Amino acid sequence: MNGPKEESPRTQLERANEARANFKNIYIYVVLVLIVAIFSVVKLGQVEFFGRGHFLSPDSLINLLRSAVPILTLSGAFTLLMISGYIDLSVGSAMSLSAVVFSWLILNGVSFLPAIMITLVMGIGLGFLNGFLVMKLRITPVIATLVTLNLFKGIALLIVPDGFSAIKSTAAKTMPAWINDYARKDVFLGLPIAFYIALVVIALLIVVQRRTLIGKYAAAIGGNRTAAELSGINAVKMVWLLYIIVGFFAALAGMARASYMSLGDPLSGDGMELDCIIAVLLGGTAFSGGEGSVAKTIVGALIIVCLTTGLMTVIPAFWQVMAKGSVLIAAVVLNHLLVREKVKA
Amino acid sequence: MMETRQTPAMIGRRMSNESFITLFMIGVLIALFGVACAVVPRFYLPQNMINLLTNNWYIIILGIGVTFLLITGNFDMSVGGVIAMTGVLSVYFCQSATASQNALAVGLGLPYGVAVALALICAMGIGAINAFFIARLKVPSIIITLGTMMIARGVAQIVAQGAQRNTSLPDVFGVLGNFTIRGTSIKLAVLVMVVLIAAAFLFEKKTVAGRRTYLIGANAEAARLSGINVRRHLTTLFIGSALLAGITGILLSSEFKAGGSGRAAGYEFDALVISLLGGVSIAGGFGSVLGMFVGAVILSVVTSAATGLLLSPDWQFTIKGVVTFIAILSQRFALDRRKG
Repeated sequence: MNGPKEESPRTQLERANEARANFKNIYIYVVLVLIVAIFSVVKLGQVEFFGRGHFLSPDSLINLLRSAVPILTLSGAFTLLMISGYIDLSVGSAMSLSAVVFSWLILNGVSFLPAIMITLVMGIGLGFLNGFLVMKLRITPVIATLVTLNLFKGIALLIVPDGFSAIKSTAAKTMPAWINDYARKDVFLGLPIAFYIALVVIALLIVVQRRTLIGKYAAAIGGNRTAAELSGINAVKMVWLLYIIVGFFAALAGMARASYMSLGDPLSGDGMELDCIIAVLLGGTAFSGGEGSVAKTIVGALIIVCLTTGLMTVIPAFWQVMAKGSVLIAAVVLNHLLVREKVKA
Repeated sequence: MMETRQTPAMIGRRMSNESFITLFMIGVLIALFGVACAVVPRFYLPQNMINLLTNNWYIIILGIGVTFLLITGNFDMSVGGVIAMTGVLSVYFCQSATASQNALAVGLGLPYGVAVALALICAMGIGAINAFFIARLKVPSIIITLGTMMIARGVAQIVAQGAQRNTSLPDVFGVLGNFTIRGTSIKLAVLVMVVLIAAAFLFEKKTVAGRRTYLIGANAEAARLSGINVRRHLTTLFIGSALLAGITGILLSSEFKAGGSGRAAGYEFDALVISLLGGVSIAGGFGSVLGMFVGAVILSVVTSAATGLLLSPDWQFTIKGVVTFIAILSQRFALDRRKG
């Protein structure tokens, strides 16, 4: 999944540089278009263009966007955190835990809105805990969130009763059918309310990153924390807030996943942290923080969703892990090349 | 090497911080063991103590590589995937080439020694990929090793088609993993662990390369300027860590006479946890192999006590998480008190 090599005239240095800058800005869209193009021609022998089973058929697109809801909800906030130079590896487990808690509440007779509220408050709590460990107790972010990854997953597994793999209907209690409404029921153009909420979240976070102090401060902290603090930014509070935001949206994503699958699977969020990292890296956010773009991360997230869904139709399931690992490495390489160019320029 | 000796400053020979933390954790271990003996029935029996020391041999072997890398400030999350990959590959190389129609039963039919050697080379290949990206391109180790974890496990899943390979193996395949020392229940793998721990201890305390590991962790730039080839050193450590994971994979697959693509899920986290329990710090050139070993025993005391108290296995994740946080904070507290 390489982007096309740029073919700028090397005779004139300036024009070459300009072309390179342009390429840097558009390459991610090129990659997305390429992937969509590949998946829409790869099975043309068996299915009609836009016909049933085709990658771009309406049914398939609706499915794709519905399953994309969790990562679209989450990766924007994740980008803000990475821009500030911090990381949260526990997002997948936070999602699983939220899915489990949400469906447990609904299974036990809590109605929709209170269940959402409780789960979101819990998400804020999870983010608060991560922020506390990293910013107050000053435990290295990777270690702290790796441990909370296992902690949250452990709690999710504990909530699920022995002998069950997930929170779901039992002989005694039945899961109400309306749990599905949030992430599956058609409200407009075949897409569920969860998708439109994800769109609102994305728009909101793009504005937050580009137009508010939160975005500017995050970039300042990621660029040089000491300098940011000397110029009066309270880095501890700021990054703590970002962890809380990530926890909040992880809970929102977890609820979408639970509603989509109509059950609370304690492993349903596994690997989400990697998907988020891939999306952020594809979107050109620097490893060390300092700069990045929520909008481009969303394009990166769409790339991952297209790849995951598209690959499922062409290769056996046991190739998936390998494919995703290779995409991660490829994203790292691409990101490395782009960041290095920036340093030179 | 001279710099290894802490110069006796004011009050005679002061203990190094690493030895202090190791002793501190041994104290914690004894206290925890006492509590466990008091609460859990039959915890004090000698056989149980031997089990506590030996049951986690695979995590401890992994812990050696992970500890040295952590001392240099790098993570290695690929070890679990490498175990699965080497296990599956060693089976695949060894399975007879003509035995049956079943795709999962047909391998390359190589002799066992060759199969093991090839599988270990593949393991070191993963280590080399890690090293290339981390030492040369300066990509954060956590991201790359999570990627190679998926690649290694991906190879295992592809070769085992998402399941496991366990048929048409020669008898010699099961020897290494099931060999026990005569008259005891101690496995060859445990002996390997003891030898590797001893070697790692000597490497850490007595060799130039061992001491350089600490310098790189404390300040990689200073280490480079003082003439250490940081890149080569990190490469060696990453390949070494992958090799240790490979050896573990060979021993485990031989024990079960099977190579499963799902094996060793989460081992990378356990290896990290025991290093942290043993006082290794990511922040800069601090920690010891002996401490890691103590950390491993602490973890096995805590988890087996929890199992003895009839807690469901689902508690394991939560217990590990809480214990790790307590360990990190108490070690920092102890070190701060010592300074002040």
